[in-house]
Amino acid sequence: MSTTQHHDPDRETPAQEVAPPGPPGRTAGRAPLLVAAVGVVAGVMVLLAGLPASASLFGTPLADLTLPTALLLVLAGVWVAGWTSSARPPWRVVDIVTASVLGVACGLLFVVWNLSWATLSNGLAFFPPLSAVAAGVWLLPAVLGGLVVRRPGAAVYTELVAATLSALIGNQWGFATVWYGLLEGLGAEIVFAVLLYRRWGLPSALLAGAGAGVVVGLLDAFVYYPEFPPTYKLVYVGLALLSGVVVAGVGGWALTRALGRAGALAPLASARDARRV
Amino acid sequence: MSALELGVRDDVDPGAVLARANPVAKLAVATVIALGLLLSVDPVTAGVALALELACLPLTGVPLRGAWRRSWILLLAAVPTGVLTAFFGVDDGAVLLGLGPVDVSAGSASAGLGITLRVLAIGLPGVLLVLSTDPTDLADALAQVLRLPHRFVLGALAATRLLGVMAGEWEQLTLARRARGLGDDGLLGRVGTFGGQAFALLVLALRRGGVLATTMESRGFGAGGERTWARPSRMSWLDVFVVMCGAALTTTATAVGIAVGTWELVIVGSA
Amino acid sequence: MTSPPRIRARGWGWRHGGRLAWAVRGVDLDVQPGERVLLLGPSGAGKSTLLAGIAGLLDGSENGTGEDEGELTLDGALARDARARAVRRGRGEAATGLLLQDPSAQTVLSRCGDDVAFGLENHAVPADQIWDRVRQALDDVGLRVALDRSTTHLSGGQRQRLALAGVLALRPGVLLLDEPTAMLDPPGAAQVRDVVADVLASSGATCLVVEHRVEAWVDLVDRVVVLEPGGGVVADGCTGAVLDRHSEALAAQGVWAPGRQSRTPRRAALPADGLLTARSLAVTRDTSRPPVLSEVDLEVGTGRCTALVGPNGGGKSTLLLALAGLSRPAAGEVLADRALASGASPNPHRWRPRELVTRIGSVFQDPRHQFVTSTVRAELTLGPRRAGVPETDTTRRVDGLLERLRLAALAEANPFTLSGGEQRRLSVATALATAPRVLALDEPTFGQDARTWAELVDMLADLLEDGAGLVVASHDEPFVAALADDVHRVGDGRAPRRVPA
Repeated sequence: MSTTQHHDPDRETPAQEVAPPGPPGRTAGRAPLLVAAVGVVAGVMVLLAGLPASASLFGTPLADLTLPTALLLVLAGVWVAGWTSSARPPWRVVDIVTASVLGVACGLLFVVWNLSWATLSNGLAFFPPLSAVAAGVWLLPAVLGGLVVRRPGAAVYTELVAATLSALIGNQWGFATVWYGLLEGLGAEIVFAVLLYRRWGLPSALLAGAGAGVVVGLLDAFVYYPEFPPTYKLVYVGLALLSGVVVAGVGGWALTRALGRAGALAPLASARDARRV
Repeated sequence: MSALELGVRDDVDPGAVLARANPVAKLAVATVIALGLLLSVDPVTAGVALALELACLPLTGVPLRGAWRRSWILLLAAVPTGVLTAFFGVDDGAVLLGLGPVDVSAGSASAGLGITLRVLAIGLPGVLLVLSTDPTDLADALAQVLRLPHRFVLGALAATRLLGVMAGEWEQLTLARRARGLGDDGLLGRVGTFGGQAFALLVLALRRGGVLATTMESRGFGAGGERTWARPSRMSWLDVFVVMCGAALTTTATAVGIAVGTWELVIVGSA
Repeated sequence: MTSPPRIRARGWGWRHGGRLAWAVRGVDLDVQPGERVLLLGPSGAGKSTLLAGIAGLLDGSENGTGEDEGELTLDGALARDARARAVRRGRGEAATGLLLQDPSAQTVLSRCGDDVAFGLENHAVPADQIWDRVRQALDDVGLRVALDRSTTHLSGGQRQRLALAGVLALRPGVLLLDEPTAMLDPPGAAQVRDVVADVLASSGATCLVVEHRVEAWVDLVDRVVVLEPGGGVVADGCTGAVLDRHSEALAAQGVWAPGRQSRTPRRAALPADGLLTARSLAVTRDTSRPPVLSEVDLEVGTGRCTALVGPNGGGKSTLLLALAGLSRPAAGEVLADRALASGASPNPHRWRPRELVTRIGSVFQDPRHQFVTSTVRAELTLGPRRAGVPETDTTRRVDGLLERLRLAALAEANPFTLSGGEQRRLSVATALATAPRVLALDEPTFGQDARTWAELVDMLADLLEDGAGLVVASHDEPFVAALADDVHRVGDGRAPRRVPA
């Protein structure tokens, strides 16, 4: 890893002195490739060998988790490679404050949504997994933060701030919201990292929404509904993914474009793609 | 709007043990309890934990009424989740209530109760933590004790202060929609109005965020060099004691669950 | 205090990321230590950008927020470097201090003491010295509050002085004030100005101030610099000379010039028919609290302008919301005349939104709160369309409004990207698009330049002649004097007192 730049998001030097090292990707040595290769190989091996059927995780036979585990390994490998080899511009004050303010605004929306959801989910109780369709709203800050601020970690940070605020104001899930926020944000962040923090269009937004959706689906299935039959859990995760793609993905992308047109992104990296006004 | 102000409520006794504890210690307690309870779904462990938490209420300095006013909302998630589990969970044991495709069995009922108690027992410490912690103190502790990057911690803290401004703005936006003739359509129209209003809120928030960033930067924020702290945040013996109490609470609850025989590790088991 | 630096700009310009136009360009300027300069110019001339540049907050590098050209230096060092060096020196002395317009966005932390200490912490002042300097700074701005007092409930004026304390605690050599009183009520504005006068007298710091209300600052400065959009500095010299020589141009650009009164008061109103009547009305901001005003009796009639005046926080806006049918009275009632109600309930707050828009139009203090579409044209079309006006009429009406309010060239622009004056005109136009018989306006002249101000007065006077009823909450005395037939003083929780117009 010696050829890659160590990254510290809170580096205490002015921006000029940590200017990104040349065109993106130039500093990538062989180490990131190696990491990616290890991840891919490990993933393929898990897929071929299969996990033991005799053990279970949260009531799910491990064998059922073979594909997700393999995917996770591949993604993690590619993510590490992407993270280390991408040119990661440092966070400026305006980036930090913007992401924070976005997080707080979304936290406020959560407060409204949390209570609406309580009524909505009761209406869907005839088939409980349906309540997952509402999950996308909680994933919006992750996609929005990533697309607007365009800095490594923006998705996690924005989602974390929104979730923390929702917990601080008080909601029906209490403190667990903070961990949820962190993990949901990571689900979206991995996607942006795998794309080397260079793609910020609709496909990236959809994938990031999907990433966050899978995470929230799995978390809910294991933390809140561990005693549901596996088919329910599967439907739940699938609907959460769909909701993540549609609400957080499409929604986040459309919101970012609209914010650009309203001139609200002027000092940010995302303004470069917004129509010049 | 007053409900949206963060920080210690006036009715919290500032001399109470948990009110004096470092926010990081309180955070650790809430985390230890949550992780301990996630290991098993059984009514006994979660119930004992919940009972012990309620017994610790005087230590937080939060009066009973205040605690209830701020924590009843946990029931909104806990009860439906438990009921759904009782109906739709994997059935096991004697059927208590048969409703065609969905049954409530002894197994699923106990699981439902376990889930409800667990959600409550995990959520309650978080609520109590919030009630006795000022966001500024929390940020100081996160940056100084946990050494999280201070630019991010302070950025989030400063943005949090805009919450009241945004809440007021949301009210204005709602009134302005009515003044423009919006808001009397069906459900879809309302969703659309809500979306538009959320968008306006974001635009205004981003603009204000830009001003806030300029203000912070003009006062030397993020310019590099060392930073000093006018409010030092440190861990004391009291904090060690508080964390130990949290660990003891989790251990006791688990031990009772094991002794009664309901405790079962759900992370890895045989299929 | 750091000794004030020499400020020097040569061919300096700045363009924000994502913008085609330069915010400011071709600026040549020298400011000597201790000089006090008033920066004037129409909106869009780049005055704020110049202040931000001197404060060292604009970064034109690869990872920056825009693009710069030319040079801008403090004692020979690039403004950005001068700022960073002062922060790192660790003495808690900033090169410059910047105070902005919006009080609500300049409070960083939630306790007064912490907010002032914030800059000192960033400048690495040892913790044991911080609190003395915080107390000193709060004293200097005359804000006598406990250090742990919450910043949430400060008034706009107090908040602005708190922000000034945060700036002064860092003992800046240059004070940069960007419309510091534009969003304050008259008493708040006077206090901020007086504090600045005291500080400058005792510290000898350099000062650059941007402000539309020239009268308040003219005695404080010794030099006036006029900027023009894209043109850099077009006039520069001692105060009296510049204001005399350029008074016509400045007035045309919307800069207040001393001694110029824009309009003669309109003629007395004809006997009026009633439109809205408040009877024993009580209003509240928060239903869980006692009413902020009660026992209000007043009337809005055809062709008459009813003005609500009084200090901020006195309940003017809350009363206006109730009169405009936007909020429910806490007690008593608001009654619409039968002709105005035309078939709907007599209580405006019971009207459905689409009934409301054709009867009472509202103009909010912040025009951005009322924008609901993505183009100026759509914004104007929305109301008539919802009220069921036929499409051809709507188009005619909208085109007429676009012409009349000088918005035709902006028909396809996004409302949020307009300038403050354009947004104000648009918000009035949206309210007029549905031809309501009553118009309720909350601080319509707030933060507006002289040109928009005069246009508003003319347009509202025309409406009155056409028989519309106006109700206005405002602390702009010239505005009230120019339009109001009935003036009600609101405040202190008592019923409004009727005062002579």
